[in-house]
Amino acid sequence: MKRLTDHSMRWRYFKQNVFFVLVRASALVITLALGGIILYILVNGISVISWDFIFTPPTDAMTKGGIMPAILGTIYLTVGAIAIGLPLGIASAVYLTEYARQGRVIRLIKVGINCLAGVPSVVFGLFGLGFFVIFLKFGSSILSGSLTLGFLILPTIIGASEEALKAVPQTFREASLSLGVSKWQTIYRIVLPNALPGILTGSILGIGRAAGETAPIMFTAAAYFTAKLPGSVFDEVMALPYHIYVLATAGTNIEATRPIQFGTALVLVAVVLGIDLIAIVIRGSMRRNKKW
Amino acid sequence: MVAMESNVIISVSQVNFYYGAVRALTDISMKFRKNKVTALIGPSGCGKSTLLRLLNRMNELIDATRVEGEILFEGRNIYAPDVDPVEIRRKIGMVFQKPNPFPKTIYNNISYGPNLTGVSVADMDALVEQSLKQAVLWDEVKDILNQSAMNLSGGQQQRLCIARALAMKPDILLMDEPTSALDPISTAKIEELIEELKENYTIIIVTHNMQQAARVSDETAFFYLGNLVEYNKTEKIFTKPDVKQTEDYITGRFG
Repeated sequence: MKRLTDHSMRWRYFKQNVFFVLVRASALVITLALGGIILYILVNGISVISWDFIFTPPTDAMTKGGIMPAILGTIYLTVGAIAIGLPLGIASAVYLTEYARQGRVIRLIKVGINCLAGVPSVVFGLFGLGFFVIFLKFGSSILSGSLTLGFLILPTIIGASEEALKAVPQTFREASLSLGVSKWQTIYRIVLPNALPGILTGSILGIGRAAGETAPIMFTAAAYFTAKLPGSVFDEVMALPYHIYVLATAGTNIEATRPIQFGTALVLVAVVLGIDLIAIVIRGSMRRNKKW
Repeated sequence: MVAMESNVIISVSQVNFYYGAVRALTDISMKFRKNKVTALIGPSGCGKSTLLRLLNRMNELIDATRVEGEILFEGRNIYAPDVDPVEIRRKIGMVFQKPNPFPKTIYNNISYGPNLTGVSVADMDALVEQSLKQAVLWDEVKDILNQSAMNLSGGQQQRLCIARALAMKPDILLMDEPTSALDPISTAKIEELIEELKENYTIIIVTHNMQQAARVSDETAFFYLGNLVEYNKTEKIFTKPDVKQTEDYITGRFG
């Protein structure tokens, strides 16, 4: 009997170890894949990185010079997308979690939001072209591009905000309401401040996506080439992802500009990380004030 | 049941309450008297907390609930269509089972309600001090008013929640098992506090602890399966109850 128990214990430990190895291996594969991509971009792109590359516009039909207009363009578009997507997304999530009576209509809306998340980005681009660029006559511009990207990241932000709002303890709402504080004030003063760090965490994903997408801005905002910096939100801009796409597929000299393509990719990764970092710092300072 | 007509502040008449299709309270009629402590007792699920939360319209935060009957406060049915629940809650404060201070400073926990409800407060510092003194917490926190309320002990947090409710200068204080999450020393402090507060407030307290009901209350109502079984002077309930079921519960034969 004793041997049998021993045996079965050993068998269970063995199964446990196999499982641990598998789990560790999958974590390792993901880390290696990510590290590999970044390393590859770094090795191939680092040679062109210089102050001039970052701070000057392209020259010689984009085979030389820097990528400053594209960096600025991507920052404008990303900030614009956040400025549109974040308030709209948070407001939708507040409605869905705090106000709406849970029922069939709400379930339908939620299914709709999930479907929106699955729509290919090029479809968003075509929608932006049809609606913002042509119908609303915004033209190919920062405004059209930001709106399109803003809608693209909306499902991510709504999802993150819903989770964060639900994580705020119900007891906070009860405490506030029981004092005779109105529902809106309770949401504005208690629920939202406590949910914001979580909302930002989820939104970081959306921010990265907004900065990196090519298809949605192709028809709505991105210029093939313009050395001129935008003067208003109705101007076209160059953008990093589109610049890489152009150089790699339709440039004047695709082979010769390989290093520039990798350099641009490296800068794009850095810009996304930079914007994420800002969000993380803001979140950190919010979290310090929160404890429960 | 004894006549309890004098000084009625809340009058509940023929109230039924439903969670979806489930009836949680059946035909409850009772009168709460001013400046008294009324205890609501009974086994889990008997409807005592449900009734308490009906008195400041907190139950309507739950979807698919329904109230029938009338609850008169200052002569007005608080469930009349033109009554704003926010107004009612301003006058009928509540302390919850688990201490639930906001993740803010001690000072801001107290000033939060008065600041937001349009009550003009000439001197917020004085109001904070007064409220904390009423809740017998002032001496313990007067030097750390700007620290997070989350650093206080459970008992201190609960007294802070009482102070927070008192800062709204309510007429009635509802307490939903206010000591069930606290240690005996903190419990004793809250019970002393209740004794002092009844000078100025009407207190309605739900408790699982029968000794507590006997210690702090003037009147006690015993609930069972959504029915009000007996409502009497506390002394009478605990010595010579009119109803057999009450006696069985109090002597520990069930519950």
